[in-house]
Order: sequence, then C-alpha cells, then structure tokens
Amino acid sequence: METAIQTSPIFWTIIIGYFVLILGFGSYFAKYNKTTSDFFFSGRRFSWWLITMSIVATGVGSHSFLKYSSKAFEHGFSSTMTYLNDWFFMPFFLFGWLPIVYYTRVKSIPDYFQKRFGSNVRILATIALLLYMIGYIAIGFLTMGKTLEPLLGWDLYTIIGVVAVIAGIYITFGGQTAVIFTDLAQGFILIFAGILIFIMGINFIGGFDIFWNSLPPDFKLPLAHFNQPPDFNFVGIFWQDGVAGSVGFLFMNQGLIMRFMATKSVHEGRKAAAFNVLFLLPISTIVVSNAGWIGKSISILTPEKWDAAIKLDHVFTYVASLITTSEVLFAFMIAAVAAALMSTVDTLINAVAAVVINDIYKPIVKDKDDKHYLKAAMIISAVTTVIGAGSVVFFASFPTLYQAHGFFHSTLTPPLVVAIFLGIFWKRYTTAAAISTFIGGAILIFIGGHYPATFIAPFDHGITMDIGHPYSYIRALYNTLACISVGVIVTFFTKSKTDAEIAGLTTWTLETARELFKGSKPNDRDGEKVKVSYKLIDSEPSELRFSQKAMELMAAEVGDLVYISDNRWWLGGLKSVHSTYGTPHNDEGVVYMTQDLWESGMFDERKLLLAEKEM
Amino acid sequence: MNETTIALPFLRTWAPFLYLYGVGGIIFFIGMFIIFKAKSINLSLKKHRQWFAILFFGYFYYLGMHFFLTYAALNW
Repeated sequence: METAIQTSPIFWTIIIGYFVLILGFGSYFAKYNKTTSDFFFSGRRFSWWLITMSIVATGVGSHSFLKYSSKAFEHGFSSTMTYLNDWFFMPFFLFGWLPIVYYTRVKSIPDYFQKRFGSNVRILATIALLLYMIGYIAIGFLTMGKTLEPLLGWDLYTIIGVVAVIAGIYITFGGQTAVIFTDLAQGFILIFAGILIFIMGINFIGGFDIFWNSLPPDFKLPLAHFNQPPDFNFVGIFWQDGVAGSVGFLFMNQGLIMRFMATKSVHEGRKAAAFNVLFLLPISTIVVSNAGWIGKSISILTPEKWDAAIKLDHVFTYVASLITTSEVLFAFMIAAVAAALMSTVDTLINAVAAVVINDIYKPIVKDKDDKHYLKAAMIISAVTTVIGAGSVVFFASFPTLYQAHGFFHSTLTPPLVVAIFLGIFWKRYTTAAAISTFIGGAILIFIGGHYPATFIAPFDHGITMDIGHPYSYIRALYNTLACISVGVIVTFFTKSKTDAEIAGLTTWTLETARELFKGSKPNDRDGEKVKVSYKLIDSEPSELRFSQKAMELMAAEVGDLVYISDNRWWLGGLKSVHSTYGTPHNDEGVVYMTQDLWESGMFDERKLLLAEKEM
Repeated sequence: MNETTIALPFLRTWAPFLYLYGVGGIIFFIGMFIIFKAKSINLSLKKHRQWFAILFFGYFYYLGMHFFLTYAALNW
C-alpha cells in the first residue's frame, strides 16, 4: 500500500499563493488585448529570447515531470531520448513551415489548408487539430490530478475541476500576451526547480560519484534497448516521438505556431527555435527526468528509505518529498509542476480559441466588429477549459501517463502531419490527395488498430506485441506510412494546382511569400540598428519617417518594412510596433511618428527607441 | 572495458545510436537537400550562410553528445 505524503498549512499557503500570483500576473496583461490579433498573436512583436523561454514552459508540460520521472526510474537515462531527437526536422521547420506560416499571415493551421487546398480540407484539418489539442489539454489536467492525488486525498476529478477553474480564468482574460509572460516566469521556475531537485538529490545520496557508481551501465545508456520491452523500446519511441511527436509538436501544435508568429521576424523565430532545441531541451530533459534517476539510486543504496509500493506516476512527487529538507522547498517543487501544467494548458486553450474563432465562428458569424470576436474568443477559451477537463476520462485508463501520451501521439498526429508535410514540400500534392490522407489515412489507422498482428506487425522491428496495448509506439510508423501512401497514390491520379494558385504556400515559392508579405520586392541588404527619439506628427498614411542618414545606416528604402521598439532590451519587444519607411527628413536622431503608431507601440514618453529594417 | 559492457548485447548498446543517426540522418539530409534545392535557404545571404552552418552543427552536436554519453555509460 502506497504511503500518503503528509503536508501542513505552510505547504498549502505556498501552493495557493503561487496560483494567486499567476492569476494576478496573467490578468494584468489583459490590458494588452485590444484586438483579436493581440489576443492570439500579441501583435508579432517579441524578441527571440522571450519566446524561447516561454516555449520551454510550453514544451515541458506537467505530464513531462511525471511521465519522464516514472520512465527514468524504470529505464534510466534513456528517458532523455524524446528530448534529444528533435534536430532532424529543423531544416524543414526553419526554412519551410516557419517562414510559410509567418509570411502568409495565416491565422491558424486550418487557415493554411484553406489557402493551399480549399474549404473541405480546412474542415477536416480543423476537426483533427481540435481533437489533438483538446486531447493534449486533457492529458495536462490528468497529470495535475495525479500529482495532487497523493497529497490531497481528494477524488481525481474534483482536483481537475479546481485546477481547470484557475487555469481558465487567466487565459480567458489574458490572451496570448498573458500566456507568453506567465510562461516566461513559469519556464524559469520549472527549470530552477528541476535543477534544485537534482542538486538536492545528489546531496541526499552523498555525492555525484556515489550516485554514478550506484547505477548499472545498462541504466546509464542514453538510448533504450533497440526493441525491448514492448512498453519502452528505442525504435518504437523513435517513430512515435522522434518522428510523429517531433513533427506534431513543431508543425501542428497550433499553440507553438502562434508563439513563433508572435516573434518580431522570421529570423527571430528561427533563433528561438534553434536555441530551444540546441540548449534548452538538453537542460529540460535533466529537469524532468532526474527525480527518477535519483529515486533509483536511493532505492539501490538505501532500500529501507524507499517505499517499494509507490506507483510509477507518483515517483516525482515521492522523490521530491523524500529529498527536500523543508516543506517550503517541497511546496516550491509541487508549484513547479503546477507551473508546467498551466504553461502547457494555457497555450493550448488559447490556440483552440484561435482555431474555433478563425475556422468555425468567423465563417459562420460574418461582418461583426473585432470587439465581438474578442469577446467570443474569451468565451470559447472558457468553454475549451471545461471540455478539456471533461475529456480526461478517455486517458485515465492507461497504466501510465507515458503510454497514454504515446498512444495519443501515434494515433492522432499522422494524418495531419502528413498532410502538412506533403502540402509544404511537394508542389504536386493535390486537394483530393489531402482529403484522402485525412479520411483514407484515418480508416487505415482504424483498421491497423483493430488488426495489429496483420497490419502493424510487418513494421514492428522485432518488438513483441503486448495484447493489452498492442504496439503503443511503433504503430506511429505504420500510421505515418499508411497516410503517406494514400496521399502519394491519390496525387498521381488527380490534377494538381498550378504554380500561380499555390504561390507562396510551398517551400518552393518562399520568395513569392516574402514579396506578398511585404507588398514589393524584399530589400535584403544588411543594415544597422539605429537609436532615435520620437516626434509625433499628423500624416497619412501612417508610417515612420527617419533622417536620410538613419535610412542609410539601416540600408533602408522608402516602402521597406521597419520594426521599432523601446530601447530597453529586457522588455523583449513588449512595447514595439511594425510599420513602413516614409520619405526621409533631415532631423538627425529623431523619428516622426503618427499618434496611432505611438499608441499601438505602447511607448513611454522620453524613452529612446530602437529601429531596424525588417525587409 | 569492464565485464558488464561485454554482457550487454549490441541491440542494447550501439544499435540504437546507429539507427538514430542513420535513419534520422536520412531525414535531416533530405531536409537540407530540399531547402537548398527550393532556394528557401539562400547562401548568397550572410544570415542564411550562418543558418546553414548552424543546421549542420546541430546534427553533429547531438551525434557527438549521444556518442559521448553511450561511451561514458559503458566505460566509466
């Protein structure tokens, strides 16, 4: 029987204090939501470092702490596999999908499908995407329930209800800006907490040498056994996570896409993505896994201190309670898991609202003013929170969160991922083929799921079939190949669109996308950034006018795109605005700006501004 | 090399590493080929030349990291 973890009022004061702080922080940013563009995309204004840190918080979901700690305890350092296999798709993302979504100004992933294939494919993509995101939200809530279960002793669904109310409030009112800034704070909190657990765990054990030498070589290998056991093997996880999961996260996670669209330029988006994968993911994997490694070492060195009856999904909570010397620190670590939950769920709830507004509501309820859509977006955010919490029931039956998540990724992502991928990188891919990928792919996935010994076994790489949950991971390979086959075969028998019809919508026509984004030929000459003060003027059209010398320094010409921000770097672009260059003047060190641009940039009086040419 | 290393089968030690950077490498280099062929990465631009180098660096950075961690687990 698992031992209950004892807590006192101090613990609960800290946890409640954290939630109040996050609620206040998120609600503060409601003032930055003047339009639906602000609510969903934060006006495309932020620096790469702010976005990359908030991406960490989104990527490291609360499920990460629990599921990776449990797998780390069972299988060792190979729990890091899923965080260290994302680079293979970076060329496709950085120079394919990211610039396409940015330059085509799509408002959602289904919006891209509308432009590339038409309304039928948009509807299918909307259904697939909403299922994916609501499932993801449900797993987040389930995790939070499982984290708090051993502490509270309440019913799982009561805990989920309480957490859902808190998450719903600040997302409903705060929008994307609230999400970015709370995620920034929560990203720091969860990384700090994870590293703190590692340091305290090593200290508890008696030093790194004792920790390292206590573990067998098999446990310390960074990659799992090639094809054993069925519930955790390298090749299955490579296809489920390294391929379906990585592509799913990078290409069809509407929340993540919206985050990149909030960067001030494509170049900044690339920097955010690359820095995240190269440096923050290796740190994050230690953050989410190390409780399991520490727990294993403790169970080997001092078995009398380890409760052998502990459930795998409770390893994180148990290790945190065991190694912390004070209740304050323990409360901080549990708050970090809460931070991870909130930061993943808030992003997805905001993303679901964006999809529902842009792909369902606006096509039905047309010609309303932006305030109407903003209000609708807030109501949809609240409703999504309720639906996400209610969907927990579908995932609660899996033995561990890791398997629930793996099954979810393997089954739901392939049709949408394949349709996006072929749509971006293969000009010949047709509308009929995209529809077939969704419908035919889903049918083949369904058949494969019912007859795994016939359909999935040929791809199993020697993995033994677990009758209870057959091929939880390697099914991703069959599902992906099934969707690709349908898409490719149908493409060869149907008529593709002309180059003109898909201009700017594939990686083969990115230059056209840039030209359409700017409205004229892009100016790629390298220029410098220029510091200026501002002077308000009345003029039409609304544009920024610099001195001739400043224009030369920035290598800019009239009509080019310019980005101007508050000179204080640590604001990360919160106070900034995009515009175009107007005719130059001779007033050195000053930019002439219209009142509407000044208000849109939310600039402070007497603060210097920093201007740079965008393209 | 210690005794435990000898006891571990190839499928447990280096096979996953070779599969990861073999199959993963095929995906990565197809991606590099497509963005180069499609001219979405334009090597006449300084920033794009830097990105080209960063993309290759990332692949070998992870390959080196996994090689080091596997070697350390088996030998240290």
